[in-house]
Amino acid sequence: MTAETVQNLEALASQAQTIMSVFTKAGYSAVAPAIIQPADVFLDVIGESLRARTYVFTDQDGAELCLRPDITVPTCRLHLERHADPMTPARYCYNGPAFRFQPQGATAAHPREFRQAGIERFGDKSREAAEAETVSIILKGIEKAGFKDWTLKLGDLGLFSSVLDAAGLSPNWKKRLDDAFLRPLSFREALKGFATGVRGASSSVPEEVLSAMRRDDREASEAAVAVYLEEEAIELIGTRTLSDITEHLIGIAEDRKEKPLDTRAIDLIARYVGVSGPAITAGEKISALIKNAPNGSAYALETYDRRLALLANAGIDLDRVTFAAEFGRTLAYYTGFVFEVSAPSLDPKSPLAGGGRYDGLMRAAGSGADVPAVGAAIHSERLLAATGGKAP
Amino acid sequence: MSKLTLAIPSKGRLMEQTTDMFARAGLVVRKVGHVRGYRGEIEGLPGIDVAYVSSSEISEALKSGSVHLGITGEDLIRENISDAATRIRFLQKLGFGFADVVVAVPACWLDVTTVAELEEIALPFRRKHGRWPRVATKYINLTRRFFGSKGFGDYRIIESAGATEGAPSSGMAELIVDITTTGETLRANGLKILDDGVILKSQANLFATNAAHWTPELEAVCAELTEKLANSIPSKATAR
Repeated sequence: MTAETVQNLEALASQAQTIMSVFTKAGYSAVAPAIIQPADVFLDVIGESLRARTYVFTDQDGAELCLRPDITVPTCRLHLERHADPMTPARYCYNGPAFRFQPQGATAAHPREFRQAGIERFGDKSREAAEAETVSIILKGIEKAGFKDWTLKLGDLGLFSSVLDAAGLSPNWKKRLDDAFLRPLSFREALKGFATGVRGASSSVPEEVLSAMRRDDREASEAAVAVYLEEEAIELIGTRTLSDITEHLIGIAEDRKEKPLDTRAIDLIARYVGVSGPAITAGEKISALIKNAPNGSAYALETYDRRLALLANAGIDLDRVTFAAEFGRTLAYYTGFVFEVSAPSLDPKSPLAGGGRYDGLMRAAGSGADVPAVGAAIHSERLLAATGGKAP
Repeated sequence: MSKLTLAIPSKGRLMEQTTDMFARAGLVVRKVGHVRGYRGEIEGLPGIDVAYVSSSEISEALKSGSVHLGITGEDLIRENISDAATRIRFLQKLGFGFADVVVAVPACWLDVTTVAELEEIALPFRRKHGRWPRVATKYINLTRRFFGSKGFGDYRIIESAGATEGAPSSGMAELIVDITTTGETLRANGLKILDDGVILKSQANLFATNAAHWTPELEAVCAELTEKLANSIPSKATAR
């Protein structure tokens, strides 16, 4: 931990107290979820990539556990334990350590052990109001702790969907692109490939099987797969059944028949992904893009505009707010609005605070359904460094 | 003057092939002291101490810098040393110990021939079984890095110490990442390699580690050894 000296420890403790009092005064109840968490929930939510950044270990009973990489998932689990109905509105705040493996080696800005002070709110019906309030309370905490010179960056993972609607794409194309958008590593490649069809020509799925696939005749389709396996003397092994394999093959066959992605749609997507800048002008740019698209509408940015208005009402100077269409794509579990607070004096890759909407997380933690959820956390050591109170 | 320490495999096929390679280079490696001991020397290269180490532990010895040089498979170096690119120097490919680290799925998965198609089945699989597809492997880091580079994260790793290729048919996992030379064992277990599923084409290498203490004298001994070995390996033997 970066609090290697008593002075540092005391500075962090006093900063945390200041921030927590902002949170509790705003109606968030303080909680302290367990530091050691079952690894399952995290692995299920974030997937195996989590292991690369998390201290996962096996205890003497063989249970797979982890040192919490953040406090959001533990707070979701705590909410589920407290409330039989996960939709019960609730607001929580916390301050405590979280742990992340740093593949490039632990540094002051990226320590393996750090403190997060944050808030999470569940079950809010008015979405943009909950989002704007989360931002303004986090900023208030940061300012109360003595740092005023922040900048705020916004993103919205839901907007891409509106862009796709405006492009007038088939449901199949829309789903593909929506999925691809969250994988920025392969997105540009995928988009290029999509210009020729839903699926690249590189796949070696046997043509004779694909040509026998019929969505309206599952029995015949399955039989065709079974015959092929028999002829090739391939044994059916493993967990997936003949029916599972056939279902996917039918999907692949349908993809083959899909018309190539319209070049105007590709252009629209590329322009949207490139939008970045002051939040107000970015909104105007996106608005214009959508309005001029084949299936355009004038109202697609209603939520965007409402959110900005709410932020302005909360006293946030919109001149200090930027928006980037690409922002948020690599963050693990966010589903819509995302934000990051930075200090000009710190590396832009080391924000002071970040958060957003994650409606799907509670389901992964066991709620059985999506629950509206917004939250954010302050990176305590970085904030202390930004205020000049030592550490990192 | 302190000596250069070279770790070579202490048993099995890799040890035999290492000894043969030294012989072709006109170098005789022999044990010092007891025949079951773990120390040796190279005739004609008095500046080198040989340590016989099990090949999986050679990567650990290189990582910590307890030896200067080591002969082992690239797969083990890439798996066990996350910052191999900066910590380890790849001095010479040795033309033996060939093994591909590959992603293999049941051959009956006609619908899955690429990582992209594997990704497509992950979510339906999870909806039906309540968990992500499991990947049995001993190459946890290579697997994670490879799938990570393809943007694929919807799977769970099951650590497998041995007989990994049997995991899909026994229901321990849905697919595997393992080494193969001819693919025969995979086929015998009803598995096939994904078209884009070759993670690493590995062979035995002479490695040096930056974690050890180096002096100009030790560098000179190292250069002499590398040159002798390089000259004895036909260039086409290392290419695949």
